[in-house]
Amino acid sequence: MSPTAPSPHQRLTVMQGHAPVSSDPGVEFTTVLGSCVATCLYDPEIGLGGMNHFLLAEPAASIEAGQADVHYGVYLMEMLINAMIRRGASKARLRAHLYGGANLHLGMARIGTMNADFARAFLVRERIPLAREDLGGNSARRVDFRPATGQVRCRTVAPALVSETKPTPRPHRVVGDVELF
Amino acid sequence: MPNRSQKSTRILTGDDSASMRALLNHALTAKGFDVKQADDGQAALEWLAVNEVDVVITDINMPRLDGFGLIERLRAGSRHRDRPILVLTTESSDEKKARARAAGATGWIVKPFDPEKLAAAVRRVAH
Repeated sequence: MSPTAPSPHQRLTVMQGHAPVSSDPGVEFTTVLGSCVATCLYDPEIGLGGMNHFLLAEPAASIEAGQADVHYGVYLMEMLINAMIRRGASKARLRAHLYGGANLHLGMARIGTMNADFARAFLVRERIPLAREDLGGNSARRVDFRPATGQVRCRTVAPALVSETKPTPRPHRVVGDVELF
Repeated sequence: MPNRSQKSTRILTGDDSASMRALLNHALTAKGFDVKQADDGQAALEWLAVNEVDVVITDINMPRLDGFGLIERLRAGSRHRDRPILVLTTESSDEKKARARAAGATGWIVKPFDPEKLAAAVRRVAH
């Protein structure tokens, strides 16, 4: 297939904070990453895949400098895992790919590294095997993921294509509110 | 700082995410609570069959036995019929919240949790 041939797949752009899941062989998730990280999860037994896209900030009151907002990161990863499980996936069967986490601007805070470190550590702690990673460096990436087969293509692209500049916004609702019955 | 002269409130957390368990353990022990942890509803149920706690905090989506099942099983027996049970979940749908309430949950907290609010809720329901 020539590089300019149109994809036969329906391409769905995965924006920051989103975590779509699909088993449709006609669907391809796509995203462009700078400092952001994308996690692709795949359950090979049922042909189901999901992808998220996030950029965690360094909390203002960070306990240790250089650490991402782990509270929010765990939440975002759990949202993707739960979406997979709701569609029949088993956490024990999940395989992961990680992409992104670049530091596009030399001399600025290494927010990409911080996010990549969080994502790797999360997968280790959850015992989800990391089948492939393309993280770090100073180049933007485009990731195309076919959720029904688990196929991923990751290419370097021009930094100008990256629209992300800010950490993934938290939900509008008040975080952690408690409702007693 | 926890007041060591007072007996700590005992909490059992049920969550299948090791990352979430680590966050909960750190947040709650820092507030002076005595924290035990189970990695799913079934493990929580088995632990509670032979141990006492003051408050249970449970996730909803867990393998083997989910949070709804855990609450229903605890309420069906006499041992934990009145035990405060807080649900801590990524689920935000009214339907799921109503189901937890009907099963006998004491409260509902949507992740990501705020350590201060969570600790305040535990103190409020503990008895």
